[in-house]
Amino acid sequence: MTMVATERAVTAGGASAAELRAEHLTVRFQGLAAISDVSLQVERHQVFGLIGPNGAGKTTLVNCLTGFQRPTEGRVLAGRTDTAGWSPTEFRRNGIARTFQAGRLFTDMTVVENAEVTGVSLGLSRRAARVQAMELLDWIGIADKADEHASILAYTDQRRLGIARALMLSPAFILLDEPAAGMSDAECEDLMVLVASIPTTFICGVLLIEHNMRVVMGISDRIHVLDGGRTLAEGTPGEIQRHEAVMAAYLGLEA
Amino acid sequence: MSAKTLLPALARHQSPALLALCLLAIVALASLTGSDTVQVTVAEMMIRVIVVVGLYVFIGNSGIISFGHIGFMCVGAYAAAWATAQPTFKQIMLSGLPVFLQEAEYPFLVAVAGSFALPALVALILGAAIMRLSGTACSIATFAFLVIVNSVYSNWDSVTAGVSSIIGIPTVVGPWIGFAFALLAIAVAHLFQISRFGLMLRASRDDEVAARASAVDVLKVRLAAFVLSAALVGMGGGLYAQFLGILTVDPFYLNLSFITLAMLVVGGMFSLTGAVCGVVAVTAIVEVLRFLERGGLGVALPQGSQELGLGVLMALILVFRPKGLTGGRELRIPRRWPQLGFRRKRLEQRPQEG
Repeated sequence: MTMVATERAVTAGGASAAELRAEHLTVRFQGLAAISDVSLQVERHQVFGLIGPNGAGKTTLVNCLTGFQRPTEGRVLAGRTDTAGWSPTEFRRNGIARTFQAGRLFTDMTVVENAEVTGVSLGLSRRAARVQAMELLDWIGIADKADEHASILAYTDQRRLGIARALMLSPAFILLDEPAAGMSDAECEDLMVLVASIPTTFICGVLLIEHNMRVVMGISDRIHVLDGGRTLAEGTPGEIQRHEAVMAAYLGLEA
Repeated sequence: MSAKTLLPALARHQSPALLALCLLAIVALASLTGSDTVQVTVAEMMIRVIVVVGLYVFIGNSGIISFGHIGFMCVGAYAAAWATAQPTFKQIMLSGLPVFLQEAEYPFLVAVAGSFALPALVALILGAAIMRLSGTACSIATFAFLVIVNSVYSNWDSVTAGVSSIIGIPTVVGPWIGFAFALLAIAVAHLFQISRFGLMLRASRDDEVAARASAVDVLKVRLAAFVLSAALVGMGGGLYAQFLGILTVDPFYLNLSFITLAMLVVGGMFSLTGAVCGVVAVTAIVEVLRFLERGGLGVALPQGSQELGLGVLMALILVFRPKGLTGGRELRIPRRWPQLGFRRKRLEQRPQEG
């Protein structure tokens, strides 16, 4: 694909950037660095695992990659386009979607309406948005609850709805912030089967923050390890498991 | 085939239809009594339905309280007065008006259209500035707007006749005309609520951060609701001017602001049904208290009982039903029509997909 074609597709709102890249990102809050000089690249055919202890800067990094946090230094690129100055809305319009650790559902709406919102704000009619929302709810396994209030959903179903909402209109990238936090092992594994299938089903790259090591190692194509806001290591699951600094700083605690 | 598409459509629009029927019953009963006092009360109630439904379009869907909408009602009322007052009066008292207004007397519907359009324009300019503010700051800014409108309209002598009144406005608005426009307001509010814009706005009300992550342009949808709501409230003002026949600035200030907000809160500010019920309930209570104040039961209650009674009612509602009488729900026939229609549709689609 030529450079011109890529740029045109990106600016037209088409979800076609080939990769999402962070270049030397630093975020400081009043002098305190939340992340320092972090670079990474998520590709559309991958599940990209992002791990690290609490306070390592994982969520801050996701906020930078979706427009909720301006980096103090460095830049975020969608394909070849610099995203400087993009609002969260513009990130989503350009095919970069996210979920939240706290769920953040629209609690006064029905389940299907929660997903519809993304569809209509990206230009679909309510009818078309509803059809697509139902397909996604079906895919993620909560279609039978479509007309119920989002506030009465079980915890695991809230997480599923958050993902379905973000997948409307097949984004180019989806950033999942601890989607399985608080789930039982069995629930977590069910969910991860779906997450692992996102790159092939939706041609959508996944950035996954997840604490359960076994799960991350199982489904990620590449893993990036943060510690204290700095990159500790990056590589395939096998490489990470053999990485001494990671074993000492992070995995060592679990073993 | 047509029955299958008709049923869900009916179910979708049943709340406004039921509200319309309730209001129709009230107006019809009022006509049957033939009493002038009742007619006046009901006409005024219909105008308040328009105003409160207009308020609801913004407040209910965006979750931001506005204290300034009575300012739009004022703008709308004067727009209608400028259009319909007698040219002889306008040329003497309102010499600052543009010539096309001074020299002509426009028909009722033109005046109503003006009272719809001018507040909308003002809201577009004001809203573009203040919709960027977060919840509470935005509410305070709307209050400032109310104060500004009040002082401008009280002092701009050549255009608004200042503190003296504009007289000779044809009093064409009665219960039935009020009812017709109340229906229009309810229909507009309902269509907005179920539209794409309504959905996006309610998403931003529930969780603004998640709405932005869902690609909602929060500023744009808020502004759209603000303009539409100002237009409806302004239309209520235009009808009010043509109901009173005499117009001054005084009624469009704190008292009316608070009573209309009270109506919305009492009814339930997160549903259209709540907006309409609130007007009916508060009007009924105020009228009963007024009747008692006048000594309707032999003993006259002390002056001010009406305000006091309304205050007590508000407090009780806030304590026992913080979401209002309707609790944020819409009026519906208690059968499960929508679900039924929807399931049927999905069953039909399945085999085609497979």
